[in-house]
Amino acid sequence: MLRYLIRRVLYAVPILVGVSLITFILFYGVVPPRQIARRNLSAKNPTPEQIQDWLVAHGYDKPMPEQFKKHMTELFLLRFGRSDSTGEDIAARIRAGAGPSFLIASLIFASALVTQLFMALWAAYFRGTYVDAWITFLCVVSMSVVFIVFVIVGQYLLGNLMRFFPLAGYQSGLSAFRFAFLPAVVGVAAGLGSGTRLYRTFLLEEVNQDYVRTARAKGVPEARILFRHVLKNAAIPIITSTVLAIPSLMLGSLVLESFFGIPGLGSYTYDAINSQDFAVVRAMVFLGTLLYIAGTILTDVCYALADPRIRLE
Amino acid sequence: MIRSVPARGVLAVLAIWTLAGCNNSPYPPGITKESIFFMSQIDDPRKLDPASSYRDDEGKILDVICPSYYEYHPLKTKVFQLKPMLGERDARREAYNYTDAGGKAIAGERWTFHIRHDLRFQDDPCFPSGKGRTITARDFLYAFRRMADPVNGSPVVSFFEDKIIGFDELIARNRERQKRGEPADYDAPVAGLQLDPADPYAFSIALNQSYPQLRYLMAMHFTSPMPYEAAAYYGGDIQRHPVGCGPYVLESWTPKRRIVLAKNPNRPPESYPDDGDPGDAEAGYLAPAGRQLPLVDKIIISTITENTTGWNLFLQGYQDAWILKQTNFQQAFSQQGMLSEEMRQHGIRLVKTNDIGVTYFAFNMQDPVVGGYTPARRKLRQAISLAVNSQEFIDLFSQGNGIVAQGILPPGIYGYDPAYNNPWRAYDPSLARARELLKEAGYPSGIDSKTGDRLTLYYDNALTTAGGRQFVGLISRQLEALGIDFESRSQRDVVWQNKIDGNNWQFTDYGWLADYPDAENFFFLLYGPNRRPGPNLTGYDNPVYNRLFEKMRAMDDTPERLAIIHQLRAMIEEDCPLIFVQHTETMTLYQGWVGPVKPNPIGNTLHKFRSVDAALRAERQREWNAPVVWPLAVLAALFVACNVPAVLVVRNRHRRHVTQRGSSTPVSPSCSVT
Amino acid sequence: MLSGWLLNIIPLAIVAALVTAVRRASRKPLWAEAIRRLKGNRVALIALAVIGLYGTVAFCDSIAWRDDRNAPLLSLVDRVFGRPQESTYSAPLAIRTFGEPMPRPLLGKHWLGTDGTGQDVVYMTLKGCRTAMIIGGFTLLIATPLALFFGMLAGYHGKTVDDAIQYTYTVLDSIPNILLLVALLMVLGRGLPQLCVALGITSWVSLCRLARGETLKHRGREYVRAARALGVSHSRIMMRHILPNLLPVVVIATTLSFSGLVLSEAILSYLQLGVAAGTGSWGNMIDASRLELARQPVIWWNLAAASTALFVLVLAFNVFGDALRDAIDPRLRS
Repeated sequence: MLRYLIRRVLYAVPILVGVSLITFILFYGVVPPRQIARRNLSAKNPTPEQIQDWLVAHGYDKPMPEQFKKHMTELFLLRFGRSDSTGEDIAARIRAGAGPSFLIASLIFASALVTQLFMALWAAYFRGTYVDAWITFLCVVSMSVVFIVFVIVGQYLLGNLMRFFPLAGYQSGLSAFRFAFLPAVVGVAAGLGSGTRLYRTFLLEEVNQDYVRTARAKGVPEARILFRHVLKNAAIPIITSTVLAIPSLMLGSLVLESFFGIPGLGSYTYDAINSQDFAVVRAMVFLGTLLYIAGTILTDVCYALADPRIRLE
Repeated sequence: MIRSVPARGVLAVLAIWTLAGCNNSPYPPGITKESIFFMSQIDDPRKLDPASSYRDDEGKILDVICPSYYEYHPLKTKVFQLKPMLGERDARREAYNYTDAGGKAIAGERWTFHIRHDLRFQDDPCFPSGKGRTITARDFLYAFRRMADPVNGSPVVSFFEDKIIGFDELIARNRERQKRGEPADYDAPVAGLQLDPADPYAFSIALNQSYPQLRYLMAMHFTSPMPYEAAAYYGGDIQRHPVGCGPYVLESWTPKRRIVLAKNPNRPPESYPDDGDPGDAEAGYLAPAGRQLPLVDKIIISTITENTTGWNLFLQGYQDAWILKQTNFQQAFSQQGMLSEEMRQHGIRLVKTNDIGVTYFAFNMQDPVVGGYTPARRKLRQAISLAVNSQEFIDLFSQGNGIVAQGILPPGIYGYDPAYNNPWRAYDPSLARARELLKEAGYPSGIDSKTGDRLTLYYDNALTTAGGRQFVGLISRQLEALGIDFESRSQRDVVWQNKIDGNNWQFTDYGWLADYPDAENFFFLLYGPNRRPGPNLTGYDNPVYNRLFEKMRAMDDTPERLAIIHQLRAMIEEDCPLIFVQHTETMTLYQGWVGPVKPNPIGNTLHKFRSVDAALRAERQREWNAPVVWPLAVLAALFVACNVPAVLVVRNRHRRHVTQRGSSTPVSPSCSVT
Repeated sequence: MLSGWLLNIIPLAIVAALVTAVRRASRKPLWAEAIRRLKGNRVALIALAVIGLYGTVAFCDSIAWRDDRNAPLLSLVDRVFGRPQESTYSAPLAIRTFGEPMPRPLLGKHWLGTDGTGQDVVYMTLKGCRTAMIIGGFTLLIATPLALFFGMLAGYHGKTVDDAIQYTYTVLDSIPNILLLVALLMVLGRGLPQLCVALGITSWVSLCRLARGETLKHRGREYVRAARALGVSHSRIMMRHILPNLLPVVVIATTLSFSGLVLSEAILSYLQLGVAAGTGSWGNMIDASRLELARQPVIWWNLAAASTALFVLVLAFNVFGDALRDAIDPRLRS
């Protein structure tokens, strides 16, 4: 196991190098730094000297190869530098934003998993009846609705009808849960369709197996079959598909966080996009890749742990 | 006992949620009972550095942290009045003759300032003991030197550069140093920045010309005293740690979340003024007269980017003030243009302010098609100007609030004439005169008489948002009625700015808010030498205008100045380089528990006059936010109702198999039911 | 710029190409069988009809011409549906404008009301069809050949070529999709062609993987070895033998990804990275609705029209894609 992990981590290094190369080409090669400078200067009409000053201050004035070297080393040392538009330390903001994003991500992950499994089991238990047909139909429908519409309509309905939880904002500590509720509900509702359909497929595959028929013949109640036996065996494909989703959740759904005022990584990225802050977007792309690779490694490990037939060599 | 994992999971999640508290206040419990003012902003200020912050939102926060020598009297808004704030008395202004390096005799002027002796900086870790020290004249001059340091990127240094003696040399020297990677020069003496060796609380600024507007600049935070210790201690982070001597200090700034201003124990004593404009006493603005400022202990400004969210928080009572936007208008207003019944019952008040500014469309005077000073081109511009209906803009985007702009000066500036009617801004729906002028300009019915092509006007703008698109749609419709082809090119701010600077545009939109209440601040927008990279966007360069402007800019507000202003106005009218749209108004809603604050469009220190009745606020918030439970109950009932038939069906399925086999012992169904 | 009439040839050419492709395919036994199965599936036929309807609207919107030299370029949709443009919002079937201090009478009847610039909402929705079809179609036009080329190369040649291509697409795949899109669009700028290029770059990877997997399967087959023995060149083998076997999988994958592409346009519009502001698109309409829902009374018709149109198209593609997969090879379900 350990050897496998080390090999996977080592294999990730050239991937990260490739990613840094791509980001460099994109951000340094295509857009002239003068344009970036102009955007970020507060003056109503920046003079050429002011532009030059800004370029020097942010390191955009050096020749290309030097910038490339600087870019690669800094990324790998996780020294993300300063934001183009506000000049603040990017790494500090990432550390500050990781907490809220992780909270929302894990809440959505846990709730979504539970809800989707519940609905999939519900559909599997009532398979063949109108309940199953309706659930499948609702899943396809929910998959076809744009995420934005979920957020807009969700905030409109939830914010004005229910008054249990605050509309927006954030506080660290235990009361963070209050602020995570609304975005979590919207996030779960939006992802409900695809997950439920997928798990239902896995469950139904298992339900047709021989061991289920045996159990039924032995007199085991239907509910217990589903929960005890089918679920455990369907766990393997379920795990594979869910663990892979964690890194994207971590990125904190740009849309959710900006709508509900959660100061996480997602809203940080969203603000950077809006203010064309290349330094921050570079850093987030690298971070996102790092998390994704970690997610894939974690998936393989979980897979191996769950399924004893698989041996990692 | 619930054994299944999913069910346990659901219960756990529910438990956490209920434990965390069941009220919808976004603030920690009990905080709304304290002497705090809550407001919101759409976005964080970019930075809070007195030397370089120019934007409106930055100024509103900075001016109560870093006050200046002068301040605008908060209640005198009919005619704006400066009164000494950090200064002990009014500055002395005298003629100053000297010879420059080339041996030429210059007739300049010198201003001498005396500051109060009881000023202290706020307590801040940048000071050795953590305690703020006394402020001397040297700190005021340090602010000027910070403006001359290119690292700070001060946008107003051009106001001073060519006027303070020796300042331009200092700036040039600093640039050289920066190219070499050295820090700027803060020690070398500058002829125009003079300290009094006998009095540490006095300093003088010597200019090479008459510049009455220096008074106004001494009321802007660029000239606010700054401790050199802060620059040394914070380095690049100084932009997020302003250190001043104002009524508030920046207690904390959590990026993209909130800014907290707290009362400064080191502030110079200051009390609420007891005089104002006629009518202030009746409006309640003189009620807090004599009280110590600031009136609340803290100001908490939350950053809320989504309009819906902010508006709903205001309605729930969690925000004390809200700037009204087009989208919230109909809920706030009833049909008659008065505050709606719902708002009034909640005790909400509306306050209207005239923004001292003007919005306009601009022609590029160097463009081969629309620019130039020949009669034909003038007529073309005048024709286009006649097709723009300002009132429609006001109706659609400001719900009818705002004044149609006839000229460049807004109300509140000396020289503004409410009776003035610009003939080229008189909109006539039939567009008869406009079409006539268009024909005379060589484009009958919009078609170029020489080439047979339709005249195409290219509109470069940075209006990429949904609201911006509506604006573009309106101007497109208005101008296409003339018969010309109107093509809008919306692009990102950066790209748009590049185009303007590269002289690569024909028609665009712009606006200007007064830096200070003087006509010079508006007429300089069309002063020839101020062309790009200065604020003269259009590149308008009329030698007669330039001469008259130079004559009037240093004058006091006298009838002679008024005469020149009328002449300038006539020239702008004739040449028509700008199509004036409106003088905007801002509408702010205040909750019933907020004390009255007189709006002041030039003075940015409103925060120190805010007051709240905290007990009333806590009570109202509780009243307005009682939780609503019935939707949950309905949903649960619906869920149960939907699934009951299914349960019955499945149970029947099982039972059917049992009875079919005819056995009395319960057996499970035989075949799988797929 | 190509002259008006030349541009009109492009949509005709596309339709002609599609029709020819389907007819040639129907002669092959595999496809003929799939078509037969599809014909029996009523739901799939309805979905196909819906897609056809959207396609027709997009086609009509692409045929445009000027009445005379100085008139604006108007398409079929413009001529039929370009009803009088009002000045601002109006509710469906209303007679006065909405949201003004003094509502003005409307110039025409609008079934779904008008949006902020006074355009009829039905008209804007129809204009969005073309944008959606172009986004889906053009992107796939970019991504599919790219994916097939590299996938086949990788699967066929193996060793270093395979490693290199695998490395490339693993790198691209490791960047979270939305971030790569954002980065590309920030750099390329807003606009329909830029959007298609960016979406193409982010979506070719999964197709490439699929193509590589299938090529690997077929490379070991006997007929390939026989062809090599006969001296047939590599490229000819790939084009004439392997490619037709890849097509079923590719067709299914592209159909299913079409809906994802159209959906992502809406999200990108929210991030201010979608198509240019003036282009009619459902994403822009949904983005505008953020402010509209904040008003009281609420302006809902813009959002409703755009999201319904989007929803129906995506649903149709999902349903048809599933049915196609079942028709071609039921074993592919898992």
